[in-house]
Amino acid sequence: MKLPTDIGKDCARAWDAMPWSLQNSATRDQDEWLNQHLAQCEACRSEFELQSRLRLAISLPQDVPVDVDAGLRRLLARIDAPDTRAARQRSRTSWVTRALVAAVLVQAIGIGVLGARLWSEASQADYRTLSQASAPLPTGAMHVVPDDTMKLADWDTLLHTFRLQVIGGPNEVGAYTVVASDGSTSSRDTLQKLRTTHGIRLAEPVANTP
Amino acid sequence: MTEADIDADATDRMLLQRMSAGDRAALAVLYRSYHGRLCRFLSRLTRRSDVIEEVINDCLWITWQKAGTFHGDSRVSTWIIGIAYRCGLKALRQHGDEPVDDDALSEDRFPAHCPDEDRELRDWLAKGLSRLSADQRVVIELVYGLGHTLDDVAVIMQCPVGTVKARLFHARVKLRNTLPALAGDPPIRKESMP
Repeated sequence: MKLPTDIGKDCARAWDAMPWSLQNSATRDQDEWLNQHLAQCEACRSEFELQSRLRLAISLPQDVPVDVDAGLRRLLARIDAPDTRAARQRSRTSWVTRALVAAVLVQAIGIGVLGARLWSEASQADYRTLSQASAPLPTGAMHVVPDDTMKLADWDTLLHTFRLQVIGGPNEVGAYTVVASDGSTSSRDTLQKLRTTHGIRLAEPVANTP
Repeated sequence: MTEADIDADATDRMLLQRMSAGDRAALAVLYRSYHGRLCRFLSRLTRRSDVIEEVINDCLWITWQKAGTFHGDSRVSTWIIGIAYRCGLKALRQHGDEPVDDDALSEDRFPAHCPDEDRELRDWLAKGLSRLSADQRVVIELVYGLGHTLDDVAVIMQCPVGTVKARLFHARVKLRNTLPALAGDPPIRKESMP
């Protein structure tokens, strides 16, 4: 017999009808038509015999021994027993849920901390607007204007001698802002000495605006 | 569906209804009623009796628990076999696929009363089925063994009817190629197969 893909429509129809006829689920008309076709088509008859044998073989009782009574007893025992499997499953699910919740909380806290840090950094901008007050200078700060001819080495020596350090400047008029390098408040004496030092054009205390 | 099928389905529905109310006697009746069918169906997936029993009990356990939720969209048997199919696939994933093979037909597997003719027929079938994939074996069992329609098989295997048709077609072609030769008939010409 050829396959129904390359034969006449009748054989293809017979091929399709065989399982249902063997199942006794085909209509009477289908059965009659199939019987008529089988009577005149040897190939389909041979196929139908094969299909009948297949159905007969499949209908044999199964050959893997499984005790129905023992199985039923085990199922009933499983129903009677506390649902340990389900409880284990629930417990496992519960632990998984808790772990997930903990992970989410940790992430939320982490995101919160990072967010707060970023926010605080963002609030301290790298620039200052004209409406913002300038940062107050430390107490004891002075504006010092060295002479144009003063050498850098002399300026360094002077700062070292008076224990001063530059914290700003020079501004548009050439004034440096200096404070005591040890953190102490520069004394009036230091100011006087600076004023009398050769090469210093101006030394004035900084007056912070309230 | 025949009159007998309709009656059987009505009985199954009544049993499910009783089971949903906690009636264990109804469960026992349903268990015994389906045990043979499920055994044979599952034996197309695995030859291990312990796995078959485990799958049957898993299937009937689910049936017991979900009895009240059965809406009657299909026959009860279609619903239960569908559960068994899914439990069987799950068990195969856990225990490994053990397709029907020649070794499975050793002497001690047959019942003592098994006539020689039956044994020969089983041997012939097992060798033919061993050439099929698990899904093709399942389709053959569902159609030729359990007598399900293509629509039922599609519901059981949760796939389109076209897929079931294709599986059945290819399974039949493979069996046509192998079964006559196994029965001692002249082999079918291979070149005529797709």
